[in-house]
Amino acid sequence: MRQRPFQQVDVFTATPYLGNPLAVVLDGDGLSTEAMQQFTNWTNLSEATFVLPPTPEGRAAGADYRVRIFCPGRELPFAGHPTLGSCHAWLAAGGQPRVPGKVVQECGVGLVTLRQDGERLAFAAPPLIKSGPLAEDDVQRIARGLGVARTDILHHAWCDNGPNWRGVMLRSAAQVLQLKPDGAVLAGLDVGVVGPRGKVGVVGASDAEGIAFEVRAFFPGNNGLSEDPVTGSLNAALAQWLIGAGLAPTRYVASQGTALGRAGRVHVEQDSAGLWIGGHSVTCMGGQVLL
Amino acid sequence: MRQRSFQQIDVFSHRPGDGNPLAVVLEAEGLQDADMQRFAAWTNLSETTFLLPPTEAGLAGGADYRVRIFTPGGELPFAGHPTLGTCHAWLQAGHAPREPGTIVQECGLGLVRIRQQGDTLAFAAPPMQRGAPNPALLALVTGALGLRPQQILAAQLLDNGPRWLGLLLGDADAVLGLQPDHARLKDLGQDVGVVHVAPTASDTRTPGVTVRAFAAPMGNPEDPVTGSLNASLAQWLIAEGLAPRHYLVAQGECLGRAGRVRICQDDGGQVWVGGQSVTCIQGTALL
Repeated sequence: MRQRPFQQVDVFTATPYLGNPLAVVLDGDGLSTEAMQQFTNWTNLSEATFVLPPTPEGRAAGADYRVRIFCPGRELPFAGHPTLGSCHAWLAAGGQPRVPGKVVQECGVGLVTLRQDGERLAFAAPPLIKSGPLAEDDVQRIARGLGVARTDILHHAWCDNGPNWRGVMLRSAAQVLQLKPDGAVLAGLDVGVVGPRGKVGVVGASDAEGIAFEVRAFFPGNNGLSEDPVTGSLNAALAQWLIGAGLAPTRYVASQGTALGRAGRVHVEQDSAGLWIGGHSVTCMGGQVLL
Repeated sequence: MRQRSFQQIDVFSHRPGDGNPLAVVLEAEGLQDADMQRFAAWTNLSETTFLLPPTEAGLAGGADYRVRIFTPGGELPFAGHPTLGTCHAWLQAGHAPREPGTIVQECGLGLVRIRQQGDTLAFAAPPMQRGAPNPALLALVTGALGLRPQQILAAQLLDNGPRWLGLLLGDADAVLGLQPDHARLKDLGQDVGVVHVAPTASDTRTPGVTVRAFAAPMGNPEDPVTGSLNASLAQWLIAEGLAPRHYLVAQGECLGRAGRVRICQDDGGQVWVGGQSVTCIQGTALL
């Protein structure tokens, strides 16, 4: 065991404690998988990451750093908020990408490109594994579990890009914020809910803050239904669905975490290179960890 | 906002990762209640504490420091593992108590004395009320734990602020093998502590008592290492002659932890709940 540089970063916010926290061990060299998993469980956060030098193959392909991403109980090949938070911590610790403005992360799925937009970082959304409408049985069950009428679900789609999200669009952000879901009905489902914050019926309309959608993410936790404060994977999949279906513009901002007292902001932009999911991050804790 | 000295401590363990974590902000002067609550929700740990200088009244009463204890959902007047972890962080930061060997903590409950013996800190178990559980509730909890009634040697409702249903089993493997229906326990609204006392428990070199804490109603299906529960269990079991006056508890094994809680009843009858702590993360927090 030794002291290793450590940061706890708040992701998808510029204001400390309004986003989604991430623990980052900046020098994971020599740690066993078991030690990484045990530390992750101990932090009690949704994810902890361990930054490493790239592998020789990764370096040859342009990787700036390598990261291993853990959630309680297992390792993940990729995840959105840990990618933005790890990259932020790496840059804050003095990391310099080989190509200015572009950072290449090596992780379980291979190489992931991040781009720097001023203060923000964005990752390229991974492809959807499963898309298209949900089965009607599922939609009815989700309506029941959310406590809304079936007719309040205006649109629905598979949003599976690794995490198995089922996406539904409700009539308004206000309706999304009022939900009090029934964990017993939704048991076993990962459900992403989105509602427009701008003028209802106008595609891509934003509110006075420039925010187009309110998002909430419900999943089965270790004590019944849980809600994630701000979710990279869900927002990536929602953007692919909504932009593809003409339900969102090619550039918008989504809000998430409001119902939990957070104020996550997810910046979505589609360009010729792909779909980018971005946000601010802020280092809230810095120091050393004994690992 | 500014950088404030911060530690994340592992409590009831001497090895990082084996105990129950606690976040401690060491210079909390000037923070609003809302700032503390927001930070405690964000750390997502069972407790986060904020160190302050004692109040005037506290100082006059002998307090060495003052602490405010928050869970993700609210403030607590007192809690065991946050008391030991905060005291460890305060000592680690270079402070020394006015009276060597005894630290006086000011918290919501008033003044709490902490004994220092080597690298072990112990708090005095707070007053506890206990009584026989309602037989119908006991039967429902027994079912939710997957136990047969005859496996339970003794049962008692224990209340020292947190209310636990204490169950004494005759078999350590039965304690470690429990796979409770946490959703059912949550519906029943009853936190449950399960304990086994080995015949060799008076030998405190190795753990002779096994404890597990199930707290789905508090939002935590299983707590790794639990100060309040161990305090109440000790007061009950020692008073009834079901455990020796000194023993060492193992808790957290099923979660991959190796928590150790040292129980000791002094000659005046006061039960002390102690353990080691280790600083795992040290640095600053922006608050």
